[in-house]
Amino acid sequence: MRTPHDLVGAGTPFATLQAPPVVIETRGLRKTYVGKVAVPVLLGIDLRIRAGEFVAIMGQSGSGKSTLLNILGALDVPTSGTVLINGVDIGTLDDDALAALRNEGMGFIFQFHHLLDEYTCLENALLPLMIRYGSVAEAARARVVRLLERVGLGHRLGHHPDELSAGENQRCAIVRALANEPRIVLADEPTGNLDRRSGQEVFALMREMSREIGVAFVMVTHDDRLAQAADRILLIEDGRLRELPQGSRRVREQGMP
Amino acid sequence: MNERERRMPESLWLSLLPRRLRFESQLAARHLRSGGRQTLLTISAVAAGVIIVVFVTALIFGLQRRWTGILTDVLPHVTIRVVDPKPTPLAAVPGAPAGAVSSRIEQRAPQEKNIENWAQVVEVVRALANVRMVVPVVRGQAFASKGGNPYGVSVIGADPDMQDQVTPVTKNLIAGHYRGLGSEEIVIDYELARDLNVSTGDRIRLTSSTGAVEAFTIAGIYSQGQGRGSAYITLRTAQSLYSLGTAVNAILVKVVDIFRADDVAARIQTLLPYEARSWIQEFPQFLSTLRMQTASAYLVSAFSLIASAFAIASILIVSVLQKSRQIGILKSMGARRRQILRAFVIEGLGIALMGSLAGAAIGLSIVYLLSLIEQPVTRVGRAPEQLFPVAILPFYIALAMLAATAATVLAALLPARRAARLNPVDVIR
Repeated sequence: MRTPHDLVGAGTPFATLQAPPVVIETRGLRKTYVGKVAVPVLLGIDLRIRAGEFVAIMGQSGSGKSTLLNILGALDVPTSGTVLINGVDIGTLDDDALAALRNEGMGFIFQFHHLLDEYTCLENALLPLMIRYGSVAEAARARVVRLLERVGLGHRLGHHPDELSAGENQRCAIVRALANEPRIVLADEPTGNLDRRSGQEVFALMREMSREIGVAFVMVTHDDRLAQAADRILLIEDGRLRELPQGSRRVREQGMP
Repeated sequence: MNERERRMPESLWLSLLPRRLRFESQLAARHLRSGGRQTLLTISAVAAGVIIVVFVTALIFGLQRRWTGILTDVLPHVTIRVVDPKPTPLAAVPGAPAGAVSSRIEQRAPQEKNIENWAQVVEVVRALANVRMVVPVVRGQAFASKGGNPYGVSVIGADPDMQDQVTPVTKNLIAGHYRGLGSEEIVIDYELARDLNVSTGDRIRLTSSTGAVEAFTIAGIYSQGQGRGSAYITLRTAQSLYSLGTAVNAILVKVVDIFRADDVAARIQTLLPYEARSWIQEFPQFLSTLRMQTASAYLVSAFSLIASAFAIASILIVSVLQKSRQIGILKSMGARRRQILRAFVIEGLGIALMGSLAGAAIGLSIVYLLSLIEQPVTRVGRAPEQLFPVAILPFYIALAMLAATAATVLAALLPARRAARLNPVDVIR
């Protein structure tokens, strides 16, 4: 599902009439870390991400990729600027509403799988539903089991994370992120902790899921080969966001790790 | 893992809980199960607190009960007597000239020493609240002899069945009988029998303080274990021995609640022109010692609970620190503050329940085993006594469990609040 690109920064967005709805939008997002010295990280980020898009965010270490992702996921608050998720300014939401947004509106995938050791693979994938409802309806469970089968974990449902490989756990984490049928998945270097082969497997799965389910994926990555397979590549440089044209080789020229 | 699933039908008990507690309870249960040694350690800390409380209260209240029992079982709780006339200083006599001195030795005025209308007194006292029984008696001093040297002895004349309930005699008999005592029969204590070198069936002579002499057949010999006991005869015989006619010189009262004996005594004094003294007035230090002991028991209990609460709090704080990343993950998945708070409080509650149950069970077992230890027999013809006269008081055990549970939940609340406040960004990486 290729969507027309929204231009970022100074550009004017041009969208076709059939364009899917914008699920993430930021306006003038700034973030300064205040410690002994103030460290400005984001210096005004404007972006729009539409439903079903697969967006890769690249940038050097410390460029603020993860900070941006955390702000988009309502885990961190910007110093100034607004974040609209599904058209709602999340700055106006209270703690409970933010928790509900994270639970129902989005899923997270981290560099490490961060599954709970105390729970089996299936139970881990069902956790967002447990948090939301206190129990899991049969239909929802069947859907999550189908997703687990889809990512090749059908025979691992009763296994605990310590009994699975890193790749298997990361695939379970992907299903967990999708358990509540969110419109957005935020992934922070989801393949960073995997060897090349399982990293590619996991990425391929995320890509397929996004196509099949129509979920917007925002993925922070260092791996420009993976980024090339995204719908769009956004580069953070000096606190500002720049969209790289599709198929651009500039990523490598920029000296990415 | 499948084994782990089979151990407890989790879905079953979860379905019994309200929906809004299920995720939290499941998480708490998983933490407890995966906690392993750490969970055991926390449960042990709670159990230790409860064990100490169960143990200390059982011992102290057991000792108190035994001690109070020893004293009050053999004592009248309230003794009614004729008021002893008190001498009035001359200066206080109305109309006496200032500085007057009396040099004349007055003839002793005849005084009322006896209770003539005792039947009425018994009637009145028996109607009072908390009174269990009222026993009219004649008490006096006498010399007992059998040919040789006379020995001084206190004599109590009373109905045997009633007297047995004021100061047990039948229970302590080592030979003969007391119930159904005849008018010429007497029950004496083991020490006196040894001094007089007599046994049941022998005859001895009593010379009362009024000079009357009567011969008795020894119907029984008892041993109360300490000191010299009184000699027991029937009321009627004692009345004639002390020339009292139909009067008595004391009325003994047994009450239900021994710690309220004072109230009964005060009530009697307001109703009747006699002196009524409770056992508490006779032994004022006794009650204050009991109070000190009770206070010490509470203090030891409170401190041991506080100590275990601190132990629990520190273990739980460490456990929350260890789980901080997990808490961050759960919050990133949309777990709310109060869900995290509840999960940790439920975890504390689980620990508290298991710990206090284990503590009560272990504490009771220890107390029970202690109660089996016997002292070497020191008294003739008596069953061996417990070394630790423990009291198993369900009220205090329940209180200990409740207090331990409250302390644990409070101790859990501190780290739970901290967990609930964690910012996911700070802990996930």
